[in-house]
Amino acid sequence: MSTGQAIFRDVPDPPAPKRPSLGSRLVKSRTDYLYVAPAILVMLVVIAYPIYYTIELSFFNTPASLALSEKQFNGLDNYVTILTSSIFWKVTWQTIIWTVVSTLFAFLLGLGAALALHREFAGRALLRGLLLIPWVVSAVAASYVWKWLYHSDFGAIGALMVQLGVTDQPINFLDNTTTSLYSLIVVNVWKEFSFAMIMLMAGLQTVPDTLLRAAQVDGASPWQRFWHVTWPHLSSVSTVTVLLLVVQNFNSFIIPFIMTGGGPVGSTQIWITHIYELAFLRQRWGVGAAYAVLLFIIMMTLGYFYVRALTRGDDQRAGA
Amino acid sequence: MTDFDRHAGVGRPVARQVFRFTVAVGLAASLMSGTVFAQSVDLSQWSPEYVKSIAGSTTYDTAKDCGAVVPNDYAGRVSYWYTGPFEADPEISHRQDAAFWEAFKVAYPNIQTDVQSITYNELLDKFRTALLGNAAPMVVRLQILGGVEFAAKGYLNPLKPEDVGYSSADFWPGALKSVTYEGVGYGIPTNNETMALIWNAKIFADAGLDPESPPATWDDLVIYSKTIHDKLGIAGYGLVAKQNAGNTPFRFMPQLWAYGGGALDEAAPTPGYKEVWINNEGSKAALQAAVDMYVRDKSVPVSALTNTQAENQGPFIAGELAMVIAHPSEYARMNDLASKATGADKEKADAVVANMRYGLMPTGPDGKRAVVFGGSNIHMVKSDFVEGGQVDEQAVKALICMWTSPEWSVKLNWASSNPGHLGGFRTEWMKERLEQTRFLDITTSMLPNGIPFPVIPEAPEIMNIIIPDMLQNALTETMTVDQAVEDAAMKVQAIIDGSGGI
Repeated sequence: MSTGQAIFRDVPDPPAPKRPSLGSRLVKSRTDYLYVAPAILVMLVVIAYPIYYTIELSFFNTPASLALSEKQFNGLDNYVTILTSSIFWKVTWQTIIWTVVSTLFAFLLGLGAALALHREFAGRALLRGLLLIPWVVSAVAASYVWKWLYHSDFGAIGALMVQLGVTDQPINFLDNTTTSLYSLIVVNVWKEFSFAMIMLMAGLQTVPDTLLRAAQVDGASPWQRFWHVTWPHLSSVSTVTVLLLVVQNFNSFIIPFIMTGGGPVGSTQIWITHIYELAFLRQRWGVGAAYAVLLFIIMMTLGYFYVRALTRGDDQRAGA
Repeated sequence: MTDFDRHAGVGRPVARQVFRFTVAVGLAASLMSGTVFAQSVDLSQWSPEYVKSIAGSTTYDTAKDCGAVVPNDYAGRVSYWYTGPFEADPEISHRQDAAFWEAFKVAYPNIQTDVQSITYNELLDKFRTALLGNAAPMVVRLQILGGVEFAAKGYLNPLKPEDVGYSSADFWPGALKSVTYEGVGYGIPTNNETMALIWNAKIFADAGLDPESPPATWDDLVIYSKTIHDKLGIAGYGLVAKQNAGNTPFRFMPQLWAYGGGALDEAAPTPGYKEVWINNEGSKAALQAAVDMYVRDKSVPVSALTNTQAENQGPFIAGELAMVIAHPSEYARMNDLASKATGADKEKADAVVANMRYGLMPTGPDGKRAVVFGGSNIHMVKSDFVEGGQVDEQAVKALICMWTSPEWSVKLNWASSNPGHLGGFRTEWMKERLEQTRFLDITTSMLPNGIPFPVIPEAPEIMNIIIPDMLQNALTETMTVDQAVEDAAMKVQAIIDGSGGI
C-alpha cells in the first residue's frame, strides 16, 4: 500500500492545458462576434449611452432658464436633495405599498385562476380566453374605462352600490387621499393577474401526473397534494413570476398617471410618475436623472435575482 | 395779409416743404389705413358690439403687403413646425390650412417649404430634442407659454412685429408680453383666445335663478352653485382641480386674479415676476371660495380633484352640471355630443344645447374681471440650432408675415381661436365667423381682460404643479387655506430663488 502511495505521489500531475490568450480566442471567434456586432452596437446606442448620459446628468444642476449644454456641476447635491426630502420618503413608501400589494394579489389571483383552469371542465377554453382580456387590453384604454367606473359622481360602481343600498352616496374612490392608492392597486391587479395566471399555468404543465396520482393513492388530501407535490414544482416559475411582477410594478406609469396624475395631494405618486413629473413637467433634468439612477440600481438588483432564478436550474444541472 | 404772405419770397420753398410733408403724411396715412402698418382697432372701445361693428370694414391684399417686406420673387427655403389640424379638428380647419399653403405658394413661388405638423403634446418635447441635436426647424409655432423657455436658453432669435412689416400696436399688449423675455421680443402672436363662463339656462330657471343672467361676481357664483345643488341635487359649478393638468390653472387663475391674488405679480400692470402674491389676501379669498364650494357646500363635483374640463363635458350635456368655464369651441363640442346621442339622451342633449349660454367671467369683489390670455406665438430659431446651420431670414420673414397677417390670422384660427393680428377683426372673414360661430362675440370681448401667465421659464412648474397642489391641499383639508397658500408661496419663492427641492 505504502509503495503504491509512493508511486502515486511520484507521478507528476499532467500539465494543465494551456489556456489560449484573449487575443487568440477573439480571433478564433471573430465570426461569432461579427454576427452579434450589430445587436451590440444598437444596444450601446439605445441602452448604454442613455444610461451613461443619465448618470452624468445626475451630477448637474439644470435650471429651467439654462440650456442643457450649460448645465452646472453640483456633485452629489441632487442625490442629497432627493434623499433628504420628506416627499421622496412618502413617495417611496407609496411605491412599496403599490408594488408589494399589487404583486401579492396579482400572484395569488393568478395562482387561483391557474389551478382552477388546470382542471378539465366545460367552457374552460372560453373562460381562459375571458380571463386573458385584462392583460390584452391596452393599459391606457383600461385606465380611462376604470376612471369612469370609479368616477366619484357618475361612476357605475358607485351607482350600483347606491342602488343596492350598500351606501347612501357613491363611494369616493379616486378623490380621496385614503382610498385613491388602493383603488389604483385594484385596477393594477385586475390588469396583471392574467400574466401570473399564464406563467403558472405553464408551470402546472410540468407537475407529473404520476406523482399526484401516487399521492392520492397514499391518501393525501387535496391541500397536501398541492403543498407537497404541486407547489415544489411551481417554485421556480413562481420566483420568476414574482420578480417580473415586482419589476413591472416598480416601473408602472400608465395607470396612476392617467387615472389620477399622482393626486390627490400626491397620494398616488410613485417613483416612476414622480421622476416623470420632475424631469418632464418641472424640467429638473438633473434631479430627475438622479432619481432615475436610484431606480436603476434597484432594477439592476432585481434583475440580478431574476437572472439567478432563471439560471438556477442550469447551475444545478451543470453541477450534477 | 398773413405772415405767410408777407414772407412770400422766402416762404415759397417752405410752403413747398410743407406741401410735400403734407402729401407724404397723407399718402402714408392712406397707405397705413389699409395695409399692415395700420393701428388696427381701438382697444378702448372693445365690446361685443364693437367687435361686430368693425368686422368686414377693411380689405387686405396679403401677398402684396408681405411682398413689400420680402419681394414676392425671392428664392429660398424655410422649414416650419407647428400644430396643424388633426383628425379630430373640424373640416374647415383642414381646408384653411391647405388654403394657406396654396396661397403661400402663389405669393412666394420660389420659396421651398419643409413643413411638419406635430401634435400639441409632442411638439415641445420634439422641439427640445431637435435643439439639442442642432436639427430644429427655422420657424416654430408654440403655445403661448412655450417660447419663453427657449428664449431664456438662447435658442431663439429676437423677433418683433416690425421685423415683418407690422406694428406692435397691431397685437394685444398681453400677447406681446408673452413673447418678451428680459425686455426683448422673441416672437409674434399668431392667435389669442380667452375662455368664458358657460351656463345651462334651464337649470338656472329650475333652481329659481334668472336664466339669462350669469353670476356677476365669483362670490355670486359660489351662491349660485350652492342654490343649484341644494334645490336640484346636481353640481352647480364644474370646478377643475386635477394635479399636473393645464386645465386647472386656466380655470382657477381667473378667480385668483379677480380677487386680487396671483402666483407672482403677473396681474400687475408692469409685472416683474419677482414678487410672490400667492399668499396675499386676494389669493386666500379665492382659495377660500373654492373650499367653500367643495368642502362646505359640496356644490361642485366630488371628482373635481381628478377632473379636467373633458370630464365635465359629459355631465354638462346630460344636464347634470350647471356652469363651466370653457373655450368658444365648447358650443360646437356640445353640438357634436348632442348629435351623437340617441333616444331620450338625444332629446335631453338637444335641450341642453338650446339652453346653453355664454357670459363674461365673473368679477372679484372690487369689480376686477380677469381671464387667462391664451394663444400661440411664432418664433425664429437661431442658425446654430437649425438643421444645416443656416436660417434663410428672408424666407422666414415671408412665411411669418403671411402667417401673422390679418387675413391668415383669422382663417387659420377659424374654429378654435381668434386672430393674433388685431387687423384680423376688421376683415370680411371675421364677419363671416361671427355670423357662423355662436357666442364668439362674448369670448372675443373677454380678450382685453386677458392676463398672460408669468413669462418666465419656470411658469409651467408654478402653474401646472404648484397651483393644483395648493388647491388639492386645501380641498382635501390636508391643509387649511392659510397653510396651503403659505406652502405654495414657499415653493414659488424657492423656484424664483433657483432652488426648489423636489
